[in-house]
Amino acid sequence: MSTQSTIKVAPRRAAPIVLLLETSLAVWLYFFLILESWPILLALLILGAGALLYTQRNHAIQSAIAGSFAQCKTLSLVWATVLVLAYPFLLQGNTYILHLLIISQLYAVLALALNFQLGSANIPNFATGASYGIGAYTSALLAIHWGVSFWWCLLASAGVATIFGFLLGIPCMRTKNSYLALVTIAFGIVLQQLINNASWTGGPNGLVGIPAPTLFGHSFSDPILIFGQSLPSQVNFFLLAFALIVVSVVVANLLHNSRVGLAWNALRTDELAASAQGINVTWYKMLAFAVDAFMAAFAGTIYAFYVTYISPDNFTFLVSVTIMTMVIVGGMDNVLGVILGAFLLTILPEKFRVFSDYRLLIYASVVILMLIVRPQGLIPKQLRHYKG
Amino acid sequence: MAAELTQQLLNWLVLGCVYALLAIGFSLLFGVVNVIHFSHGDVSLMAPFIALAVIPMVEPLFAHSGAAIALTMAMIVAILVIGLLGILIEHIVIRPLRGAPAMMPLVATVALGILLRELIRRFYPEGSSPHAFSMPFTGSAFSIGEVMVSWFVVVELSITAALLAGLFFLLKKTAIGVRIRAVSQDREAARLMGVRSDRVFKATFFIASASGAIAGLFYAGNVGATRFDFGILAGLMGFSAAVVGGLGSIFGAVVGGLLIAGAETIAQSVIPDGAAYRQVVAFLLVIIFLLFKPEGLLGKVVVEKV
Repeated sequence: MSTQSTIKVAPRRAAPIVLLLETSLAVWLYFFLILESWPILLALLILGAGALLYTQRNHAIQSAIAGSFAQCKTLSLVWATVLVLAYPFLLQGNTYILHLLIISQLYAVLALALNFQLGSANIPNFATGASYGIGAYTSALLAIHWGVSFWWCLLASAGVATIFGFLLGIPCMRTKNSYLALVTIAFGIVLQQLINNASWTGGPNGLVGIPAPTLFGHSFSDPILIFGQSLPSQVNFFLLAFALIVVSVVVANLLHNSRVGLAWNALRTDELAASAQGINVTWYKMLAFAVDAFMAAFAGTIYAFYVTYISPDNFTFLVSVTIMTMVIVGGMDNVLGVILGAFLLTILPEKFRVFSDYRLLIYASVVILMLIVRPQGLIPKQLRHYKG
Repeated sequence: MAAELTQQLLNWLVLGCVYALLAIGFSLLFGVVNVIHFSHGDVSLMAPFIALAVIPMVEPLFAHSGAAIALTMAMIVAILVIGLLGILIEHIVIRPLRGAPAMMPLVATVALGILLRELIRRFYPEGSSPHAFSMPFTGSAFSIGEVMVSWFVVVELSITAALLAGLFFLLKKTAIGVRIRAVSQDREAARLMGVRSDRVFKATFFIASASGAIAGLFYAGNVGATRFDFGILAGLMGFSAAVVGGLGSIFGAVVGGLLIAGAETIAQSVIPDGAAYRQVVAFLLVIIFLLFKPEGLLGKVVVEKV
C-alpha cells in the first residue's frame, strides 16, 4: 500500500485557501437555496460540478487543498462552524429553507450512520430507515404517554434502536452480501408493516402531538433570541441538528482512525483475509449495525420532536434506499462526500419543484446515471494516511 | 366447510402460480447473471399495461375471430415486448455495473423500479388510476362440490405447468440452455469454452422478463385490474418466494412460490384482519429461512474458497 503524499503548503497560503474554499461553498449553497428560477439553479449546479471535477482532475490543486486543510484543521473547523451558524441570520424569515436545511442535516446524520456499514465495512444495510423509525417511535411514545423529556428520549430511543441493531446484526453471522441485504430489506418491511398495523403505534394515522423539547426553560417551539435578534423556532432545531452532525462527524473520525475503523476497512477489502488476521469478523459487523442504529435513532428522535407528527410512511423501505443512495452518490467512506450527497439529494428534488410531477422520475434517472458513470461517488474515498 | 377449504386451496394455487413465475425470474437472474433484479416485479407488471395499449392496434386484425383472440394476441405481444425490455435493461443498466459490488446493481434496480412506475404513472394515459383488466377466459369450467372453478384458473394452472416444462426442456436439452447453465456454474470456465456470456445474459433476461410478464398478466387478471404500483408488492412477494426456495434453483422457485402463497392464504383466512399481515408473514418466513437455511430450501450451499 502506498501512502498518500501531500504537498507541503506554506502556512501563509494554507489559511486563505481554507477560508476561501469554505466561504465559497457556503455562498454557493446560499444562492442555491435562495434562488427560485430553475435555469439559474441548473447553471449553479453545472458550475459546482465543474469546479468539483476540475479540482479532482488536477492533482496539484487537489493535493494543495488537502494539504491546506490538513495544516489548518482547527481554523477550518472553526470557520465552518461560524458559516453554519451564520445561516439562520442570513435566512431570517425563510422558514421553508430552514426546514429544508434541518431535514438535510438529519439525512446527513442518517447517511453518516449508514456509512459506517456501507462505506467502511461494505455491509449492505437496507434497514437504516427502520432504525430511524424505531428511534422516532420510541421517543414519540415515551413523550406522549409518559411525558418523558426530549433529552431522556434521545438516550432511551438510542438504547432501544441499538438493541434492535444488534438483533439485526445477528443474521450477519450466517449470511452475507446479497443475502444479508435481503435480511435487512425484510426486517425493514416487517417492522414498517407492524407499525402500520398495530394500534398502540397509531397505525397508519401515526402519532400526533409530540411536545416540543425544552432546554433551560426555553421551549423549542418558541422563537429563539440570539444577539438581540429574534429568529423563527425552526432555528432551535437547526442548531440541534447541527450539533448532532458535529457529534456524528467527530464519532466518524474517531472510529475511522481507531482499530475499529481499520478492522472495518479490512473487512471491506477481504473478509476471509481479515478473519485470518485475527479480526473477529462477526463482532465487528454487529458493531457496525449497532452504531448505525444508534446514530439513526438520534436523527429519528429529533425528527419526531421537530415535526411533532410521525407516521409509518416516514420510514418506508424507500427511505432506506434514499439514505443508501446518498452514501453511494456522495462517496462511500468519505465523511464530506456523504454529507454532500445527503444535502444534494434532499435539496435538489425540492428546488426543482417546477418539475414536481417528474421528480421521482428524474431522481431515479440521476441515481442510475450516477451509479453507471461515477460509481465512486462525488468525492471518492481517500487513501488512509498513516503517520510515522 | 369443505367448500371453503376447496376455495382456499384454489386461491392458494392461483396465487402460488403467480409467485412461482415471478420467483423463477429472480432465481434465474441471480443464478446466471448474479444480480438481484429488484425491479423485476415492476417490469413484470408492465405487461398488463402494454397488453391494454396493444389491444386497439390488433383488434382490427382479428375483427372476424372475436375479442378473446385479439386479447390473447395482445397479451402475447406484451410478453414479447417485456422480454425485449428485459434485454434493454440488461444492456443499459446491468451490464455497466458488472463487476461492481453487489449492492450497486441492487440499488440501481431499485431506482429502475421507481423509474418504470413513474413512466407509467406520468406517460401512460391516466396512468395514476387503476385500469380494468380482464382475461379472455371467463366463465366456469367445472365445479368441485359447490365451488365453481373458472376457466381462468384452469388456463393459469396449465400455462404455468407448460411453461415450467418448457423451461426445463430449454435448460436441459437445448444449446442455449446448456450455455446458460454453464455460465451460471462458472462464468470464467464457460468463457474459456467459448460461451459468450453477454449473449447468455441477454437470453436469460429475455426468459426471466417474459415469464415475469406472464405472471404479471395473471396477477392483473386475478385482481381484475392493474395499477402502476402493483409491481412493488408483486416483486417483493416473488422475491421472497425465490429466497425461500433457494435463489438460483428453478424448482426451488416453484416450491417457494407455493410456500409463500400458502403462508399468505393461511394468514388471510386464519388471522383476523389477516390481509394486512400478508407481507409480514411472508417476510418473517424469509428472515427465518435466511437465518436457519440461508441457501433456501433447494439452493446450493456455497463454500468460499480462497
